[in-house]
Amino acid sequence: MAMVQRLQFPGETASIKSVGKPMSEDVAIEVQDLEVSFGNRKVIDGVSLQIPKEQLVSIVGPSGCGKTTVLNLLAGLVDVPRKGKLLVGNKSPRLGDDRIAYMLARDSLLPWRTTLQNACYGMQIRGVPAKLREERARDLLGRVGLAGFENVYPKQLSHGMRQRCALARTFALDAPYLLMDEPFGALDAQTKLTLEELLVELWQQERRTVMFITHDLAEAIAISDRVIVMSARPGRIAGNFAIDLPRPRNIRSLQKEPHFHELYAQIWGVLEDGWRHSDV
Amino acid sequence: MSKNERLALEFGATVIPHAVFLGVFLGLWEYAVRVGWLDSIFFGQPSGIASFLWANLIQSASLWKEMGWTVFGTFSSFVLGSIAAILTGLLFVMMPRLERFLDPYLTAFNAMPRIALVPLFILWFGLGVASKIAIGVTLTFFIVLSSTIAGMRGLNQDHVVLTRTLGARPAQMFAYVTLPGAIPVIFSGLRLGLLYAMLGVVGGEIIAAEHGLGQSLAYLGSTFNMNGVMALLLILSVLGMTVTGIMTYVEKRLLHWQ
Ligand SMILES: Nc1ncnc2c1ncn2[C@@H]1O[C@H](COP(=O)(O)OP(=O)(O)OP(=O)(O)O)[C@@H](O)[C@H]1O
Ligand SMILES: [Mg+2]
Repeated sequence: MAMVQRLQFPGETASIKSVGKPMSEDVAIEVQDLEVSFGNRKVIDGVSLQIPKEQLVSIVGPSGCGKTTVLNLLAGLVDVPRKGKLLVGNKSPRLGDDRIAYMLARDSLLPWRTTLQNACYGMQIRGVPAKLREERARDLLGRVGLAGFENVYPKQLSHGMRQRCALARTFALDAPYLLMDEPFGALDAQTKLTLEELLVELWQQERRTVMFITHDLAEAIAISDRVIVMSARPGRIAGNFAIDLPRPRNIRSLQKEPHFHELYAQIWGVLEDGWRHSDV
Repeated sequence: MSKNERLALEFGATVIPHAVFLGVFLGLWEYAVRVGWLDSIFFGQPSGIASFLWANLIQSASLWKEMGWTVFGTFSSFVLGSIAAILTGLLFVMMPRLERFLDPYLTAFNAMPRIALVPLFILWFGLGVASKIAIGVTLTFFIVLSSTIAGMRGLNQDHVVLTRTLGARPAQMFAYVTLPGAIPVIFSGLRLGLLYAMLGVVGGEIIAAEHGLGQSLAYLGSTFNMNGVMALLLILSVLGMTVTGIMTYVEKRLLHWQ
């Protein structure tokens, strides 16, 4: 099944011909038969997944299974020989692609910039005119609940507020694809819930395709349209679940819904299986 | 209690103990010299130091002129040494292999006691201020160089990754991440570099010079004018504190986000 494809490196703009058949209209991000080794150690072994347009899809899996690696490959951040096909909106990954916005667990706010300047940062790098980006940043800061904190430096913000600002910076970009690597992983439970709600709210206001990586299965189910489970090293796809909880969801009261728990139990089983069958 | 009253009280609480301490210290010193416990040839005496300062700072401007030479030398070597160091640091960060190649030579040069270069520099640049600036530069350069490199290597990698995913050009990376990220560390180097520039200049003046506080100090020492020597030490210390005070002020203004 996994046929040997020619190696592709990030930054290479492969022509449509060289990447095989174009993906279907409503697939935004596609990974096919991906194999990655660092040195002699295979860390990803035949991963295929599709992320439909404008959906919020989570990837869960044990630590070290290669989630970050997949995301970084899609962002064009890592330069490592690999087999398989990666497509973001019909194109090969390219570092600095302005259709992609990338968000990390740590807020990466620049401490010498105010909240407003930080929210503007991505747009500034990508050449949005000053007036426009300020307008957009102010609007987003308002929506993430940071109105009134525009001229404050990051050290004066709480952890949650800093991550709100990072969320504003990410959404302020006019990018259809959002790649998020455990963006709320470092927050306390309450703050995490608030920010999950905020993410879903922003995503519902302006539809983007979100690939959301997390360790937290409850978080994944609560916010996602689909949860993809990876097994431990070397990473493989262990399961792919549609989350049919109706939207809009009240994330805080999902805990009281039996169907949430059914989904949780079902996916948890697969997660655990993947953990047991790993070769580490 | 009004705010002003409180401030006045606080001021008094910090100043009065020091005033008492200094008063007692200087009084004892003066007394010890007058009754012959201390020899004023070796230790000077407060009243003599005061009258020396009065004569040379207020009645005549002779010390101000010497100070002018020292300050000029210090700032020149600081500016030249720092600019050269920051540019070299940039080059090294861009070309790590060049740094690895040059590292043993730089380390060897930096290990040399810089004052040992004075005879050479006096031969090359003469007795005047130029040779003093040369010594100051060699001291400032290495301090600022190592802090520049450390600052640019020690960037927060999250900032770098984020900026790369945004597609920043190298110039943007430099202006938005590398430079502001390195400035706090560079500044600690600059502060030290300024003090070392002064050390180099004054040291050079003491060894051989036509002008400068160091030259005056050497002269007064050789003529056993201990009051003059003590007065100059006092002036040098005040000068050093002023210079670091200015740096602290600039740093606070520039790094107000910290
Ligand atoms: N640059 C690298 N060089 C060598 N090995 C690497 C490198 N980057 C990642 N790895 C290895 O690849 C594997 C997958 O790493 P990755 O960071 O993608 O895991 P992850 O699923 O994101 O884990 P976590 O949940 O802990 O973040 C790990 O075993 C890791 O040690
Ligand atoms: Mg990871």
